[in-house]
Amino acid sequence: MNTNYLFPNQFKKLGWVLLFLSIILGLYWIIYFPEPSFLDVTIPFGSDNGFLNSTRDNFFNELIGIFLIMSLLWVAFSKEKQEDEFINKLRLDSLVWATYFNYFILLLSMFLFYGLNFLDVMVYNLFTLLLFFIIRFNWKLHKSKKA
Amino acid sequence: MKNTIRVDRAIKNITQAKLAELVQVSRQTINAIELGKYIPSTVLALKIAQVFEKKVDDIFQLEDKDLA
Repeated sequence: MNTNYLFPNQFKKLGWVLLFLSIILGLYWIIYFPEPSFLDVTIPFGSDNGFLNSTRDNFFNELIGIFLIMSLLWVAFSKEKQEDEFINKLRLDSLVWATYFNYFILLLSMFLFYGLNFLDVMVYNLFTLLLFFIIRFNWKLHKSKKA
Repeated sequence: MKNTIRVDRAIKNITQAKLAELVQVSRQTINAIELGKYIPSTVLALKIAQVFEKKVDDIFQLEDKDLA
């Protein structure tokens, strides 16, 4: 079966390494809130007082976000060593499952978190869909390998 | 749908891994088909039949629940 929307197999390993690094950096950011000055930038748009006004920002957290998304995408959507139709089906099933599960958690969070707390939930939600997919897909793959 | 792959493999004396290699899929796929957890595509069914030198419907048969 021709699946041309997947990354080559090597990206999986690369993704895991980058994911590991991003999680460590992410935890570091959550705990210590570092703003290394070499990442201070002036951005010409997106300011709080009018979108077209320039704003100062430290790019550390954005960088972590970019790394996280890229690594999660690579881990989630790289080809297996031997791709075939059964693995394709597992992948699709897992993606549907993860989407339902992710939105179920989000719906629950709407009743449990309010104001800025909910904003935090939304930030985590940027990554959880892919995370749930990765866990579910690899679990299913592992189970079918053992049987 | 049930199938006789396990029996046919025994007759030809080949492992799941060997059959998987012959039809270019992973071993899990053959295992999932044998356990009835996965229905192969027509292409894969034809390839498997070719390995055993049989017709597809000698290997794969409909069950009552498929017709319900």
